[in-house]
Amino acid sequence: MMLAGTIWQRELVEFAQRRLALVIKLAFPLLVAIPLVLGNAPSIYAAMALTMLIAIVGAIGAGAVLSRERQSGLTLRYRTLPVTPGRLLIERLSTSAVIDFIQITPVLVLIALWHPSAFAWWPAMLLTTAAVLLIGNLMGAVASSFSQSPGEVMLYVVIPLLPLLYLSGIFTPLSQPALLVVSRLLPFSYLHEALLGALTGQPTLPPWETLLAGLGFLVGAAGLTGCLGRRVFESD
Amino acid sequence: MKVDTASERSLLIATDLTRAYRGGKGVFDIRLRLAAGEVVGVMGPNGSGKSTLLRLLATAASPTSGQVSWFGTTNVRDPSVRRRLGVMLDQAAHFDQMTGYQNAWFFAHQFGLSDGLARERLDELFSWSGLSEARDQLVGEYSLGMKRRLNLVEALVHRPSILLLDEPTLALDYRGELDLIERLQLLSLTGTAVVMATNDVHLAERLCDSILFLHQGRIIREGHVPELLTELAGSKEVQLQVNSPVALEGLRSLAAVEAANVEGDTVHIILARGANPAQVLAVLNGTADLVSNMRVRRPNLGDLFLKLTGVALPVAHR
Repeated sequence: MMLAGTIWQRELVEFAQRRLALVIKLAFPLLVAIPLVLGNAPSIYAAMALTMLIAIVGAIGAGAVLSRERQSGLTLRYRTLPVTPGRLLIERLSTSAVIDFIQITPVLVLIALWHPSAFAWWPAMLLTTAAVLLIGNLMGAVASSFSQSPGEVMLYVVIPLLPLLYLSGIFTPLSQPALLVVSRLLPFSYLHEALLGALTGQPTLPPWETLLAGLGFLVGAAGLTGCLGRRVFESD
Repeated sequence: MKVDTASERSLLIATDLTRAYRGGKGVFDIRLRLAAGEVVGVMGPNGSGKSTLLRLLATAASPTSGQVSWFGTTNVRDPSVRRRLGVMLDQAAHFDQMTGYQNAWFFAHQFGLSDGLARERLDELFSWSGLSEARDQLVGEYSLGMKRRLNLVEALVHRPSILLLDEPTLALDYRGELDLIERLQLLSLTGTAVVMATNDVHLAERLCDSILFLHQGRIIREGHVPELLTELAGSKEVQLQVNSPVALEGLRSLAAVEAANVEGDTVHIILARGANPAQVLAVLNGTADLVSNMRVRRPNLGDLFLKLTGVALPVAHR
């Protein structure tokens, strides 16, 4: 029997014990990615679909779980633990983001195997994926604090996510300077650029710039996660 | 700041504690002082604020005003405070996809227990709680009673200085309740203070040193159990099982009746010292087939609550 003494270990143990969920979670992104990558879909469409997929995977998982825990009374129990809410949220969301990353890894491997020549984009693709997954988890966690059910969390996450994806220029290339500036403030645009590059499309940024942006968003999201612990775990 | 001797001895002091919710619910101006080894019962009907008070004392909710001092500090986020609290809230919340032992192991480690110590104490507590055979079963498959017993295990495993228990006997069988009383008596003797919300009058009378009666979020009466029971000395509680509705106003107008309340088909009447139950029956004269059963017994804390508020405490379910 696997025993977990820390919050991140507990997340992993619970996840590993749910074998059917594990299989579904791993298979679902591949079902989307295989036709896109192996079918040689135009890279602009493939990158769009995969950016959406990664953003939604990140946003929905943790939010739905936290909402269920709020309903069941577990959130109240967290408040009685000798752990700060910031540390609690960092441990929960980073583990959840790692699990999501494992879920997405087969897709990234598939892209790398199918387009080995675009290896210069692989580090940026990994880092921007990690950043978007953590930010998505954070969005879901915040949404869970004012939702009554997992279904509501999905609604509150998808409503802002879709315009943000649009503003990131993943649906249509942005030409207006103001919109371009806005898109560069959003992590999804860099993930989209990295995927475009890795799929041998025509990104507008160089790999190193995308890599640095991914790193910046990852660090920023980690810091913000620590600050939002009280909002997520201590709001009634 | 200089503290007085009583404060030094108190493990927990709540001062003018208020938590107001929309709709007027909550708790208001609660004052409580808890010494080592003391067992305090919080009694009141559903919605009276018992669970809210327990949550405030357990650091699971923040007060709107007033404050709580635990072991001399008011810093709710001080990990050393939470490490010394053992909490059992009203919801039996667990990680349902993990086994009972995995759940307890997780909480034991959160409170700083080493692997060896956690194993040793959990083995003893699982055996005490009767959960040994179900320790490797998923909590999602547990009954409510088993989940509540697991809650108790988790609240006790780190040997806290203060135990905060919300309806600890809820869903426990008689054997479980006796085991719990015995355990809490032992813990109290070794200095553990206990605050428990309960409507189980027998548990409260057997275990508690003092009682707080909560009604509509406020303490309406508090005192040591013998002192409270003295107020009822000589009184009687009459329970009438009736076949049709009874006008309570008629009963309450009798000088002999201190309080009367209806619960389902049973009328509860507190008779004043020296009063004769026959006086009640006389009022009901003319409706001979009205009363199908009558029971007279010594009144308890629940009857005192009825006398004070006119509201009956809900029957504690086993």
